Amino acid sequence: MSKRVVKGKNTRGGLKRFTISMQRKLVVLCALVLLAFVGLGIRLFLINRDNGQAYTMQVLSQQAYENQTIPYKRGKIMDCKGTVLADSQLVYNVIVDSKQILEKDAYLEPTLDALEGLGINRGRIREYITNHPSSQYYIAMKNLSYQDRKAYLDKVEAGIKMEREKRVAPADRKYDNIKGIWFESGYSRIYPHSDLACHVIGFSGSGNVGTGGLEEYYNETLNGVVGRKYGYLDETLSMEQTMIEPKDGNNLVLTLDANIQSIVQKYLKKHDDEYENVDHPGNGSNHAACIVMDVNSGEILAMAGTPFFDLNQPSDLAALEGMPKLDANDEPMDSYLTYTDLLVMSDEDKPRYLNALWSNFCVSQYFEPGSTAKPFTVATGLETGTVDKDETFYCNGFKYVDGFEIKCHNREGDGLVTVGQAVERSCNVALMEMAMSEGKENFTKFQNVFNFGLRTGIDLADEARTDSFVSDSTMTDSMLATNAFGQNFDATMIQMAAGFCSLINGGNYYEPHVVKKITSPSGTTLRTIEPRVLKKTISEETSELIREYTVQVVEGRYGTGETARPAGYRIGGKTGTAETLPRGNDEYIVSFMGYAPAEDPQIVVYVVIDRPNFENQDDATFATVVVRSIMQEVLPYLNIYMSEPVTDDEREELEELGLAVTYTGDESPDKWEKETW
Amino acid sequence: MSGIVTFVKDRIGERRGLADYSLIFIVLFLLSFGLVMLYSTSSYESMAQYNDAAYYLKKQMIFTLFGLFLMVGVSLFPYTLLKKFSVLAYVVSVGLILLIIPFGKEVNGAKRWLDIPLLPIQLQPAEVAKIGLIIFSAMFIEKLGRKALGTVRGFIVPMVPAVAVGVMLWKITDNLSSAIIVIAIVFGMLFVACPDYGKFILIAAVVLVVAVALVWYTVNSADTNSLDFRGERVLAWLDPQAYAGGKGYQTIQALYAIGSGGMFGKGLGQSMQKLGFIPEAQNDMIFSIICEELGLFGAISIMLMFILLLWRFMMIANSADDFYGAMLVVGVISHIAVQVILNIAVVTNTIPNTGVTLPFISYGGSSVVFLLIEVGIVLSVSRGMRREELARLEES
Repeated sequence: MSKRVVKGKNTRGGLKRFTISMQRKLVVLCALVLLAFVGLGIRLFLINRDNGQAYTMQVLSQQAYENQTIPYKRGKIMDCKGTVLADSQLVYNVIVDSKQILEKDAYLEPTLDALEGLGINRGRIREYITNHPSSQYYIAMKNLSYQDRKAYLDKVEAGIKMEREKRVAPADRKYDNIKGIWFESGYSRIYPHSDLACHVIGFSGSGNVGTGGLEEYYNETLNGVVGRKYGYLDETLSMEQTMIEPKDGNNLVLTLDANIQSIVQKYLKKHDDEYENVDHPGNGSNHAACIVMDVNSGEILAMAGTPFFDLNQPSDLAALEGMPKLDANDEPMDSYLTYTDLLVMSDEDKPRYLNALWSNFCVSQYFEPGSTAKPFTVATGLETGTVDKDETFYCNGFKYVDGFEIKCHNREGDGLVTVGQAVERSCNVALMEMAMSEGKENFTKFQNVFNFGLRTGIDLADEARTDSFVSDSTMTDSMLATNAFGQNFDATMIQMAAGFCSLINGGNYYEPHVVKKITSPSGTTLRTIEPRVLKKTISEETSELIREYTVQVVEGRYGTGETARPAGYRIGGKTGTAETLPRGNDEYIVSFMGYAPAEDPQIVVYVVIDRPNFENQDDATFATVVVRSIMQEVLPYLNIYMSEPVTDDEREELEELGLAVTYTGDESPDKWEKETW
Repeated sequence: MSGIVTFVKDRIGERRGLADYSLIFIVLFLLSFGLVMLYSTSSYESMAQYNDAAYYLKKQMIFTLFGLFLMVGVSLFPYTLLKKFSVLAYVVSVGLILLIIPFGKEVNGAKRWLDIPLLPIQLQPAEVAKIGLIIFSAMFIEKLGRKALGTVRGFIVPMVPAVAVGVMLWKITDNLSSAIIVIAIVFGMLFVACPDYGKFILIAAVVLVVAVALVWYTVNSADTNSLDFRGERVLAWLDPQAYAGGKGYQTIQALYAIGSGGMFGKGLGQSMQKLGFIPEAQNDMIFSIICEELGLFGAISIMLMFILLLWRFMMIANSADDFYGAMLVVGVISHIAVQVILNIAVVTNTIPNTGVTLPFISYGGSSVVFLLIEVGIVLSVSRGMRREELARLEES
């Protein structure tokens, strides 16, 4: 081999030379190759010529799916102290891309493992992937929390790193072969205090649409503007990505105080529990509701009505148990929903009952207010001069009007009463007399002045209008007579409370409101809602008299509201006991409209118990004791100090509640202090 | 042993500085272009998967440098010595394929790779088999002699080891395209070596008829569910739009890329199809991204570079010292030509989809290393030729 071989000479039949004919054949071979190249070149040209336009469009349209919306964060709802009552949390939807998972055999099992780790049923996903091999978008799970997602991503990242460091064979990698899982961000609404202020707040679902309360009334304020991520082609036909950041929604800061609200809900619940199943199976009453309001600004400090529901699970039927069944007109009947009823409830009935559950009794429902309307009748008389403050009335237990014998609260008759005593004893006859003196013209005019029948303008959804339930001056005498003590006209709790505030604060009718401030996502104040005086209802003099009379309701010898007085305080108020329709069923709505302190009213606490679950319902004590309990805790919370000495029994009671005796022992009961709140 | 060493040293000394620079230039051009396109094509997916846009580029650069090193080494090595290793080359080729049965690594659903002990790399025995068959067949055909090559037996006998390796690649590694390439390499070598055309035309005609019959059978198969994945690929080839969600997806996306490129393309790096629409575009489908970014102009330029490369190879073969050297070069020509043609044909949906990489450009370590070794052999042959020329010049 080391010697050069003579060219062209074959040895032992082998070949040594690459002959001319071979060279020629190589040229032929290369020519064939060249031919193939030319053919492929032509093919390339044809694809461009024939399909160029269509394919270019196709490529662009495929890119279009890059057009994504980026969700915004709905604003928070906070109470006056900044306690968050409604918030939006970043959550993720887990999206599964079957096509990517099925790309390689090694992907499927690790990916299923990972999905199972996220809490997704393995069998269900496997079935979906098998049945939809080309699907690229399937929401396998909703509302995965930020923490859970982060934990998952960290674990996978660490796993991949470990596998690469250890040089695990690609096919055996557990983490590296997780494919086709991605996360789509979104926000989910959470209510940290579940049923606290449920009717005031309302709730909002996945589409950021509020239902009820503030969530509905302030829907637009709370909502932001979605962002968008999209690709477009610039003039050189290259793909550019652009993102418009989402704009988050604004926050609401309420006048409502979560602490007062929870005190209120605690005692309403206590009442409900106490009377549950007493006279009949069912809740303690159809509704036990309460409004706590700032007398001098119209700010709502608390508002609640049983039955409550969990805002995080508003459609949970369990909350319906014990509610009255509804007739075809959605009016409550005398039978009550049992647990079994819930199980068999039809799909048509569910929304009817849920709507009843979600309805805010304090603003959306109306009823005959009963004797709590009496101070309004008295104020009308005093203000129009048709009733003199020194006038007396004689009550023998009933009065004939239009041929009806209209009975007094006290069947035996209250005898001779002054205006103040009429209020103190809640004498129907005296009030009828007063209304007669006032006349229909004055009476209806002042109904209007006190805003009965009109919306108060409170910033909550679904405020009821009751104008069709309020009579005009063409009404009959018996209508006027019964209206005088709060029967035969309808009002909402918020109308009563807002009107009553004006009676005792010198005649300033404040528009009731729940929102104090609207702030931007970053927390800067965008708008402050100042107290707004809508009108002047009565004079300061009349107001002073009303305060005097209503204090007697609690303190007077014959006062009907004695049980409402919290230990250590002087308060005023008015009881109410109204028979519901149809008459003669012995069903009542009892109430107490209380305010404190008596000398300089700061808050109104109005409690209404709709048909207490008790044999004898016509007793305002159901409401007064609730007002008492609420005031007992709320007044010290508002730094309103006791002005009265406390008895030993009361001291014991206060100790049990963990409340301090703030009475300073001075002889001057007028000395109470108040801090701004 | 020491004799061989001295001999090699002598030869190296004698041949230094006689390289075929135009060939080297073409190869380096294709490699550099390949790396640029590889980066452009793979950076998006590589960023998404490995958080490193240059992940594939770095790996490929290491293999390319290693390949170039081997190429230089082999080019200095007298190719005639390869004859002594011919049988060994064949045994190693077959052995590595057989090793896949117990030790094969499954990637993308096929067992085609062997882990190299102690190194984080994998070897594709199919790539070894291609070069192994070139070395073995060149010797085998030479041994057969001129007379035998004129007969049918002279064609069949060298085809047997090639077909055997092809069948093994097909059955063991489920890699039909590599099997076809291996057989085509030896077929090409025999076409040049045998003096006649008849049997080649006949075989080409038979292959064509069988292929048409298979396609016809597939299309008319009553129950499409009974078809294996190759059958489905045939259907997807005939109507890629209808199978756009499945087997035709890659093909149709590649066609979109080619069609949207136009005459001069969207510009380097501007492909939209590489953004996840053509999965693993840096492998078999890289040519479609070249078409999209550089247009018809870029695509035809690359094809011209390959033609230039093959023309250079042809010149070297035709002026080779001896038959053996020429045969080696013809083998390399067949290899590269078949792979380029198949790859572009697949990308343009001229033939059914089958995984063939584009030499020097597609991502793949084994592929580029063994291709560069083949170029090294060709360079070694060309050195011999140059030396002859020099000797003639000195004589005159």
